[in-house]
Amino acid sequence: MDVQLKRGLLDVCVLAAIKNGESYGYKIIKDLKPCIELSESTLYTVLKRLEAAELLTVRTAEHGGRLRKYYRITEAGIARIGEFKKEWQEIMSIYRFVTKEDDVND
Amino acid sequence: MTKIEFLLALSERLSGLPKEEKLERLNFYSEMIEDRIEEGLSEEEAVAAVGTLDELSECEAPEHTEIIPEENPEEKTEQDAPKKEKKLWLTVLIACSFPIWLPVLIAVLAVALSVYVVLWALIISLWAVFGAAAVTAITVIIIGIVLAAAGRGVAGAATVGIGIFAVGLSLLFFVGCRAATKGTAFLTTAAAKGVKRIFNKKEEEI
Repeated sequence: MDVQLKRGLLDVCVLAAIKNGESYGYKIIKDLKPCIELSESTLYTVLKRLEAAELLTVRTAEHGGRLRKYYRITEAGIARIGEFKKEWQEIMSIYRFVTKEDDVND
Repeated sequence: MTKIEFLLALSERLSGLPKEEKLERLNFYSEMIEDRIEEGLSEEEAVAAVGTLDELSECEAPEHTEIIPEENPEEKTEQDAPKKEKKLWLTVLIACSFPIWLPVLIAVLAVALSVYVVLWALIISLWAVFGAAAVTAITVIIIGIVLAAAGRGVAGAATVGIGIFAVGLSLLFFVGCRAATKGTAFLTTAAAKGVKRIFNKKEEEI
């Protein structure tokens, strides 16, 4: 898959995983498992990227005698998911057009 | 592998990263391991589930390469300051250790001078030996001639022969003496140049 496209998809997946409330690293991986197998190192990179783009915020909180980082989606993050849905509609119509051409040729 | 072992090994692998980022990554993976242990996995299993060291240290690395900022001029002057201070302290140290290094210096100079004198004495004695050998050879020849003139032809001829042989030896000795003298002279000038260079250097430094 195209790297840029994959990167965009991963971003949206992670944003979707935290859109209904803040979450932490391991939980994000577990929640995404049915949809995508995300490695720890990839998740780290995605989270850093989203934080830098201010699509999510990070806070550190105590949990069971240790520290854990919690990620919360921002307004911009929610907007990004909306954009993705719109973009995907366009991509789907392009897809239908491309496959229709195939049907005619076949 | 235990969590600590794993994180230590990973820390070593990530040593190329800026300290802060390295720490952040280590905390991230540590949290992942802890969460898995909390869920019921053993420490070993949790560590294995997070990924291999290769994966974690190499994956996505290019995205995090940071350009090291150019050294700014202020830092350079800061580096110069300790150098100056070092020089000052060195001068103080040299001055304070004066009672120690002066006798040592005198001793070293005395030894150098005696070596020099001995060398030239040796050369002079070599020339003296040559002179003696040459004089003796000529004397022996003269004695031979006198003996022959006195009627003892055989003894005279033999003596002259020995004398000529001695002259030959003297000539060889002369060649040796000349070479030794030239060598010593060369050594002397070389040593003098060396000493001069050391002093010049010291002057430049101070």
